Amino acid sequence: MDKQRDFVLRTIEERNVKFVRLWFTDVAGTLKSVAIAPAEIEGAFAEGIGFDGSAIEGLARSYEADMLAQPDPSTFQILPWRGEIDPTARMFCDITTPDGVPAAADPRNVLKRALAKAANMGFSFYIHPEIEFYLLKSSQIGPEGPIPVDKAGYFDNVPGGTANDFRRRAVMMLEQLGISVEFSHHEGGPGQNEIDLRYADALTMADNIMTFRTVIKEVAIEQGVYATFMPKPFTEHPGSGMHTHMSLFEGDTNAFFDPSGQYSLSKTGRSFIAGLLKHAPEITAVTNQYVNSYKRLWGGGEAPSFVCWGHNNRSALIRVPLYKPNKGNSSRIEYRAIDSAANPYLSYALLLSAGLKGIEEGYELPAETEDNVWDLTDAERRAMGIQPLPQSLDHAIRKLEESELAAETLGEHVFSYVLANKRREWSDYRAQVTPYELKTNLEVL
Amino acid sequence: MATASERSGGALQSLARFGFVDLTGTIAKLDELVSLVGDSGRSALAALSKSASPDDALNNIIALARFEKSKIKKILSKEESAERLAKLVGASTALNDFLSRTPENLVLFEKAVQILPDRASYDLIFNTAISGLRQKEFNSAELVTCLRITYRTELLKIAIYDLSQADPQLAQPRVSLALADLAGAALEAGLVIARKELAESTDFGIFTKDEIAQTKLAVIGMGKGGAGELNYISDVDVIYVAESAGDSLDNERMLAIATKLATRLMRAMDSNNPEPALWQVDANLRPEGKSGALVRTLDSHQAYYARWAENWEFQALLKARPIAGDRELGSRYFEAIQPLVWQATQRENFVDSVQKMRERVSANIPADEVDRQIKLGAGGLRDIEFTVQLLQLVHGRTDNSVHAADTVTAIDELAAGGYIGRLEAHEFSQHYKFLRLIEHRIQMSQMRRTHLMPIEENAQRSIARSVHLSWTAEDLINYWQEVKLQVRALHQKIFYRPLLVAVSKANDGSELSNEQAADRLAAIGFIDPKVALTHISALTSGLSRRAQIQKQLLPVLIQWFAEGTDPDSALLAFRRLSENLGDSHWYLRMLRDSSGAAERMTVALSTSRLATSMLELIPEGAAWFEDVAQLQPQSMDTLRAQSDALGARREALDDFAKAIRHIRRRETLRLALGAVVGELTLEELGKGLTDITQWYLETLTTTVIEAMTHNQMPIADLVDFGIVAMGRFGGAELGFGSDADVMFVYDPRPTIPVAMAQKAAELVISEIKRLATDPQLEFELDMDLRPEGRNGAVTRSLDSYKAYYSRWADIWENQALLRARMIYGSPELRNGFHDLADAYRYPEQFDNKSIVEIRRIKARVENERLPQGADPKRHLKLGRGSLSDIEWLVQLLQLKFGNEHPSIRTPRTLEALEAIVSAGLMQAHDARVLEEAWLLASRIRSASVLWSNRRTDVLPTDRRQLEGIARILEYPRGSASKLEEDYLAFTRRSRMVFERLFFA
Repeated sequence: MDKQRDFVLRTIEERNVKFVRLWFTDVAGTLKSVAIAPAEIEGAFAEGIGFDGSAIEGLARSYEADMLAQPDPSTFQILPWRGEIDPTARMFCDITTPDGVPAAADPRNVLKRALAKAANMGFSFYIHPEIEFYLLKSSQIGPEGPIPVDKAGYFDNVPGGTANDFRRRAVMMLEQLGISVEFSHHEGGPGQNEIDLRYADALTMADNIMTFRTVIKEVAIEQGVYATFMPKPFTEHPGSGMHTHMSLFEGDTNAFFDPSGQYSLSKTGRSFIAGLLKHAPEITAVTNQYVNSYKRLWGGGEAPSFVCWGHNNRSALIRVPLYKPNKGNSSRIEYRAIDSAANPYLSYALLLSAGLKGIEEGYELPAETEDNVWDLTDAERRAMGIQPLPQSLDHAIRKLEESELAAETLGEHVFSYVLANKRREWSDYRAQVTPYELKTNLEVL
Repeated sequence: MATASERSGGALQSLARFGFVDLTGTIAKLDELVSLVGDSGRSALAALSKSASPDDALNNIIALARFEKSKIKKILSKEESAERLAKLVGASTALNDFLSRTPENLVLFEKAVQILPDRASYDLIFNTAISGLRQKEFNSAELVTCLRITYRTELLKIAIYDLSQADPQLAQPRVSLALADLAGAALEAGLVIARKELAESTDFGIFTKDEIAQTKLAVIGMGKGGAGELNYISDVDVIYVAESAGDSLDNERMLAIATKLATRLMRAMDSNNPEPALWQVDANLRPEGKSGALVRTLDSHQAYYARWAENWEFQALLKARPIAGDRELGSRYFEAIQPLVWQATQRENFVDSVQKMRERVSANIPADEVDRQIKLGAGGLRDIEFTVQLLQLVHGRTDNSVHAADTVTAIDELAAGGYIGRLEAHEFSQHYKFLRLIEHRIQMSQMRRTHLMPIEENAQRSIARSVHLSWTAEDLINYWQEVKLQVRALHQKIFYRPLLVAVSKANDGSELSNEQAADRLAAIGFIDPKVALTHISALTSGLSRRAQIQKQLLPVLIQWFAEGTDPDSALLAFRRLSENLGDSHWYLRMLRDSSGAAERMTVALSTSRLATSMLELIPEGAAWFEDVAQLQPQSMDTLRAQSDALGARREALDDFAKAIRHIRRRETLRLALGAVVGELTLEELGKGLTDITQWYLETLTTTVIEAMTHNQMPIADLVDFGIVAMGRFGGAELGFGSDADVMFVYDPRPTIPVAMAQKAAELVISEIKRLATDPQLEFELDMDLRPEGRNGAVTRSLDSYKAYYSRWADIWENQALLRARMIYGSPELRNGFHDLADAYRYPEQFDNKSIVEIRRIKARVENERLPQGADPKRHLKLGRGSLSDIEWLVQLLQLKFGNEHPSIRTPRTLEALEAIVSAGLMQAHDARVLEEAWLLASRIRSASVLWSNRRTDVLPTDRRQLEGIARILEYPRGSASKLEEDYLAFTRRSRMVFERLFFA
């Protein structure tokens, strides 16, 4: 820690950094930032920076407004989009109460707790996300809805198009921030792009995703367009998911890998999947946290609406991808429900806990599903024991309410805040008269 | 020796003087020896008498001589060599066996072992032996045999050196260092063999020579091996670090090779082989312990320690040193890990959690071994090591001169730095070496990994003689017991006494400055060490007897305070109590002579402000700490006997009431102390408090009536007067901070007009209220549950109650009757009231309308009664899933089914819940959820009053308050968040049950 701290202080001097932004995330998954002058950094490392937590959604109960942000020196990066004029850096923070206890409501702390539990079982948790988002001409909504920057489709190369430049610039910035990009391409919808980040441990990855969203927004502004991570901005085009590849490691070896298992999947891996399947409905209100998220989940296409798993089955909730032979360490599973607007800290904590529960209790993995589940009839699905994921935020909230797993993982405070917050969103939404109703009802009734 | 027979004459007696146990047999044995090796056999007697067990030595020498006549003859012919052989085979059966396997080693006895090799020499010895082995084709078993024989030959030399020392205790550190160097060299050689195996054989996977060469593996010694203070035989604790030397070998493959190397290395030490195993290589101290990867990269180690490691792991790392394999990688590991070790005390709860770890180890010693343990028992080696390491960690953060890995050097360094007194350091060091020496001797005998004193007297005698030739078994055990006692006392002396010295400025060799003393106090949990030092100074300064005794006591008291929630205020409270009581002789005697009393007192002072402030009022209560039986609640009979004994003074009503109030305060203090030191359960506490309250009201009422009668107002002739306990009082569930809910009832005597009776009853009540009021320990008589509440008459006649309940009563008033219990009044009045109550609380018909009405009231009350701004999740009484939810649900069921199921008729909530389950009216699982929440909420309410001496119905948000409450509820230290999580989770679940059962 000390070496990293020294490195930060040295770099601030050498690069003549003018501002340091302290970043943290609220319960809803919005990035918060406090800028401080370099002179305050040393004090911030020693004692943290005090702020009024009650002003931040879900972070503090009104009576414990005083909070401290403790910067984590290992997350120090110079922000590339600021250029050379007034260089600005950022660090992620842990939030603590004034007596140094981790704040119950700090999502980063929720994830750290879940990871510590995994570590006690001998596991570390790695994530590799595929993040989808739309590029729009602007945030203005046209008569036909949002206006995408192009009309291209999956893997299309758009000559001279915005999307290409955009991705090149974004990938460059991400790399400058120490975030490795595995892959990037145009996705199915017009203006829709996907960028895959190289795998990292879950905490780093959650930090990376928060950074990623900022970078994408910044690059968009720079290029005169608008980027959105809204789960389903177009009725007729695919939504933006965040398919998440997960693996557990025991020391330096992959715990999901067993060359003799089906699909080279170890018993640990199978139980982990079983845990995810069993608890998927009750954690969906977090992995898919908006009213709009359910428009994606139930909008058809490749969205995973049903709780099942398969090998290379692109309609299943969990997919076990094909590994390159002799690459045991790349064994992983892909959870496909989570969307690009999720709070990564809370979502990863819940996914991990669900999987670990499966390992702890030795859940049996149900049979795999080879069919496209969308093509089956309701009766067929029922016969095969395939449950649907929640069909609306309301439905998801009711599942979450009864979840001991979620209460334990999130902690009682975050758990009840999330519930209250989501109930409010649902009741606001329920009160809306939508364009759909006007279109279909007004003239006939 | 020649004169022995002259003095005694008897041959047997002279053998006894030479130290033999089996006298008759020895004569024949000596003859056999002479027949084998000639006259030198006879002169061997002098040499044999120097050995730990002359009998064993003689037997073993004869056995050797049968096959190696000439070699033995040569050895025995010289006095020095004979002595060396006799000492070795008399002390170690295992090494004797090795000698008979490898008789060529007998030449070693011909010359004295003057000095022990250093590590480099050992490496050379192994290297020569292994590379000198000519093999036609690769055979790893042969290599392993060679390694082990080389090891044992060197071990033999160490043992010869050790046993020939005039002062073996002085030589112990040197011997231990040699043993560690030897083990390190053996591992180095084992690694060479492992590399050959992987390269030459395909049994362990197919790797190219190049890949193996590129795999760098460093072996880090942990514990005694790393610190250069190894035993004759113990597991050698290690951690592995690996790295790829070139770009062509990726980490994954490199780790696979390194793991194979590490496993093969371990096998070289412990696999089956003609030459038996050396010892286990234990890698369980590695990151993530048994479930973690055997080999990690340096990055992976660092990442683990930076993020996941537990506190005790840093303590273990204090002794980590590279001992074999790649030196450069090993030293990079060392450089990377050291800063983590020396910053470890900055981690939260560091000292506390390593102490916990240590307690856990002590608690796991099997009962029959406790007294025989040299290492883990009280006053054992671990006590010394732990104290030394703790001091190193506390002061090593700012002082690089106390970083030594081994215990003996560390003690010297701490003394040189002034952190412990020179005298104590010397004693500590001597005790440590003594314990290590006997441990060595016990292990050497069979080369078994043991830390237990043998039971058999002969075995003890051998150990004794090998330490001091003139000692008997009894001498050894006595001296050892003495050392144990001193070691135990020294921990406090060394850790805590310098704090006192720092304050007094007296100079006894330790020169702890005020800042260093403050560091030490801060490390063990004092928030304001400067102020604490002034308290310590006040308590110990002066020449009074009190100051003298407190000087003796404070080191241990400070330790106990530090284990409590609030050491700072506990120390202050102790100072106050001590200034209050300090000159009473019983107090000082109790503190000095009864360690249990002092410990209980520190617990009470550091966890309960209520107990502390009441002790100031009633200091004599401190006497109960001596005897836990005194902390049990007094029975109703005892209470009554006490008030009856005061009867003589009843004429003076106010004086009498004063005495009664004093008894109430005293008994409440007793319960508070009992609850704080963990002698009482919640049920016992509830019953105790209910008893006191009941006795208090009963005694005052009787006395008031008597006094009024005495003053020409014959109350008993006017009314039959009664008191009904309601609410938690009725349920006998009072906690600290509960009001006493009551209603008053009377029955006019025949012919007495109601108005007159009412007047008389009201007079009695106002007297009771006046006398019961106690400014020093609040007594809240709550009559709000009476008909018409605060607007109603303070009392009614039985008939008036009947009329009221039949005509006017709201449904919630019927509900309140469920917990009504007569605690005063004639049997007729009691029966009359209970019959009346039963008609309404267990109605024949509880219709749907009433059920809906109850539900509506509950729903409304939830909103209205909660104080402004209170968080419903944290309100212990009216909050989500807390007391009132559970009680309303139970009461609803009692109203509905009480008539049909008499078994569920009880004013006690938990009893009712249980009966409801038995009657099949609720699932056992649901009842358990409710019970858990009810118990926790009730316990928190009481604990919160005990902790803060303030009544509160809200779960505190302040961490320190939560921590204090958690400690009273016997949660481990640092459980503020855990308590909060538990409460929120229990009540969330209970609310789910409540909503399902109450509203549905």
